[in-house]
Amino acid sequence: MIDELELLKEDWRKREEHLPRLSYDQIYKMIWKKSSSLVRWIFYISIIEFLLPHLLYLIPSFRDGSSYDIARSLGINQWLIALTAVQYLVALFFILQFYKRYREISALDDARKLMNRIIRTRRTVKNYVIVSLSLILLVFAVFVTGMYLDDNLAASLGVTPGPGRVSPGELKWIMIGVMAAAGIFFTALMGGIYFLLYGLLTRKLFRNYQELKRMEA
Amino acid sequence: MNTELEHQFVTELESNQNIVHKVCSLYTDNREAHNDLFQEIAIQLWKAYPRFRGDSKFSTWMYRVALNTAITLYRKSRKQPHTQDYDSVIYKIRAEEYDPTVEEQLKLMYSAIRQLGDIDKALVFLYLEDRNYSEIAETLGISEVNARVKMNRIKTKLRTILNP
Repeated sequence: MIDELELLKEDWRKREEHLPRLSYDQIYKMIWKKSSSLVRWIFYISIIEFLLPHLLYLIPSFRDGSSYDIARSLGINQWLIALTAVQYLVALFFILQFYKRYREISALDDARKLMNRIIRTRRTVKNYVIVSLSLILLVFAVFVTGMYLDDNLAASLGVTPGPGRVSPGELKWIMIGVMAAAGIFFTALMGGIYFLLYGLLTRKLFRNYQELKRMEA
Repeated sequence: MNTELEHQFVTELESNQNIVHKVCSLYTDNREAHNDLFQEIAIQLWKAYPRFRGDSKFSTWMYRVALNTAITLYRKSRKQPHTQDYDSVIYKIRAEEYDPTVEEQLKLMYSAIRQLGDIDKALVFLYLEDRNYSEIAETLGISEVNARVKMNRIKTKLRTILNP
């Protein structure tokens, strides 16, 4: 009996005649088209992820400094300035690292190395997002602490309690609660969006990478 | 504008385009996706071309970039119809030398190969292309021994499909 695989090999060779054929001009046009590769996607999405925490400052209350006024009256201004500085330094560090790793990605590497490099590049952004989200949570925590330590919170925030049944003490706890909830909600939302994107972009890549690693085990 | 380089590249790719078409036929299942993947591979090859030094054959170098693109870099850029209208390459039945049993076996094997994972497909592809194990190992980034072991497992699997 003939080996089936030899049969297949033979057939594979014969099939060449039935392959499509592109002309010189068709190929020439192709090479100037825009790539839609995973690496390009990762590049764009990572850039957005780097910018996202900084887009917070486009929100009017952040831009016109009214949040700083509140922070000043809460006495936490210097803490916020320090945190902002840390945030920019962290972003700079991660962007440089991202750029370095991104440049190392090359289709000329073997399959495993290429996947490894893409995963490492993506992991840089993942670490950045984790650090960045922690910093945002910390900003909210500083606010909450400032609010807690403020003896006359309603006055500091310029809120006049209505003539209702809410006592100043209760009002303080409600405001602290709202701030804390907003902080957790915002961080969880950003984190959720991020990990969804991360998962979608790297699912296939991870599966194939694990497959190669299993072969070497 | 480096027209000399462009010309050189397009000529090389034109005469070696079969390799790319074969990769596309394994990794896609309709004509549109085939063309889409071909284009992405052409772009990746062109991007990498300035670093192709000619110390290996153009075709050897193409296998690596083409498979890397199919396995890792390629993302479907458009919505593609998931119809099975694309059978021109794989299931072509030739009128001459038509043998129902052989034809049936081949059909079974090709559909089995289609169901393999991306990495296994790459192994089978390089095997069918008569590349040696050291080249297969280098392309995928695994050891030669493991490439051999894995290929033997796939062969056994394909044989079981044919002789249940």
